[in-house]
Amino acid sequence: MTIQAKGLKAEEERFGWKLILPAIIIIASLIFYPIGYNVFLSFFDVKLRGPNTYIGITNYRDIITDLAFWHAVWTTFLYVIFTTIGTTLVGLGVALVMVKEFPLRGLVRAIILLPYIAPVISVVFAWQFFFDPVNGIFMHLTYEKFHLFDQRFNLIGSPQNAIIVAIIFNIWKNFPFSYLMILSRLQSIDATQYEAAEIDGASGWQKFWYVTLPEVYFVVGSIVILRVIWNFNKFEEVYLLTDNVKVLSVYTYFKAFTGTMDQGQGAALSVIQFLLLIGFILFYVKRVLKW
Amino acid sequence: MVVRKKNILKKTGFLLIVLLIVTFSIFPFLQMLSTSLKYQFDWGNPSLIPTKINLEAYKELLNISQTTRNIPDSIKRLLDNPKLSKAQKRAIIKKYEETGNVFPFLKYFRNSFVLSFTASFISLIIAVLGAYSFSRVNYRGRGTIQRGVLFVYMFGGILLLIPLYQMAVKLGLAGTRGGTFFSLLIIYMVQTLPVSLYMLGNYFRTIPFSIEEAALIDGCTRFETIRRIIVPLSLPALATVFIYAFMIAWNEYLFASVFLRAYKNLYTLPIGLKSLFVSKNAIWDRIMAASMLTATPVVILFLLIQKNLVSGLTSGGVKE
Repeated sequence: MTIQAKGLKAEEERFGWKLILPAIIIIASLIFYPIGYNVFLSFFDVKLRGPNTYIGITNYRDIITDLAFWHAVWTTFLYVIFTTIGTTLVGLGVALVMVKEFPLRGLVRAIILLPYIAPVISVVFAWQFFFDPVNGIFMHLTYEKFHLFDQRFNLIGSPQNAIIVAIIFNIWKNFPFSYLMILSRLQSIDATQYEAAEIDGASGWQKFWYVTLPEVYFVVGSIVILRVIWNFNKFEEVYLLTDNVKVLSVYTYFKAFTGTMDQGQGAALSVIQFLLLIGFILFYVKRVLKW
Repeated sequence: MVVRKKNILKKTGFLLIVLLIVTFSIFPFLQMLSTSLKYQFDWGNPSLIPTKINLEAYKELLNISQTTRNIPDSIKRLLDNPKLSKAQKRAIIKKYEETGNVFPFLKYFRNSFVLSFTASFISLIIAVLGAYSFSRVNYRGRGTIQRGVLFVYMFGGILLLIPLYQMAVKLGLAGTRGGTFFSLLIIYMVQTLPVSLYMLGNYFRTIPFSIEEAALIDGCTRFETIRRIIVPLSLPALATVFIYAFMIAWNEYLFASVFLRAYKNLYTLPIGLKSLFVSKNAIWDRIMAASMLTATPVVILFLLIQKNLVSGLTSGGVKE
């Protein structure tokens, strides 16, 4: 390599770094540094005013001896499992429909993305209204029309049942994401594969099982892991709909920003939450995606 | 004949499924619109069509013809008195306007807009430079940085909330109005930055390098080619990324609720709406109208960029 070429390469390198530097500084100081700082804080009794005092692992001990924490872990587990399965299956079903030709398909495809892009705060009220004991359509149908219950009640209001609504709401809000990803994969499947299967006398179900499913296997695998990460960290879609469903994020929020505002324990909680997530991902990548 | 009949049946069944999916997706929006237009006596009516259209909620939120609405009759009589000067009358009306406006929708709307617009604009500029570096320049460490940006997807807001809040407190930013606004601005910026970087990087790769080469031969510097070639060629992508970032910031609740807690004047729409709901003024028509008005800008923006956004999302530029 000539000296000139080397000089050009070094210049290129400097130029690349110069352009990316602002982004790096911002991401490092507002995402990576805070993550580290959070671990640091989790060993302290964090005071809102005045200096923090080092208390070792007391925060962690307090957390794992608290039953409410284990309840939050369990709630999160249920929430993540059902929302992930739900969004993926609904997304797959909708994608299989949307890949076919029908009138106004462009418009329909756009309309069904609305749940995903609408602000959480604006749609939670409609969902709360559905389950409103006096005015809601849910009580109207189940109690007045079909007499499934012997009295009106507030489904979102009770801690045991609210999680059902939270899960349905999450599926409604996020299925368009899975649908979009799967649809774009479906559209790239070579039509000749289906033709070949038809010539071999494959039924509709067989075509789905032997052609479509293997083709979407990996996109579905990636969707599941993304949805697990996101649903695990979900806060707004749960908290704004109802504060009865205490998943870990909501539990941490209440600990750190209400009442005594124990931010040290809050920090420890988010460290634990992160470790749980990492643990799951390592397991999933090894076992399910077999990397 | 039998085959054709079966086909028609199949087709109708299929269209019914499509209809079902569409209904499932937009029913909550229809409910929102419907309730926002209903009078209280009509709320329990399961039909989506109001028996009588009620526009009061919208009028109140948008401050249309509100001047005399909240003024008691006795004061109105007083206002008819010709002896009062115009300025005096206005002063009296103003007093009632302020106390009567229970939900300062327009103010929250403005706060949300300023915050989201500024954050996504700055984020876009930084992302253009960074994405160019990702997609066009060769250097050691590029792959690591790209993966580092992707890693950010792992961290939900709640994991960053406490440390960022503590940092703002320690730096003295959380104690002042300006500082709080600034903190929130850069937080929104960093929240949208990874997505913008990723989406733009993917787009820049589709622009043929030969166009740039021609410009370089003509004596443009590298930086000039970004400004003169890359930016004009990717305007639709820039608009898409900007709007997507804007939507993320517009929808954000968690950070705003913690940082703006003490500053009612800086409330963004999401916290404003939440506080409206828990307040005693929680009336369904008004809440639904406010929800409609909060969702509308996002829906309009989405429809504008729908096609480009879909391809951006499916190539991996998504954030939740």
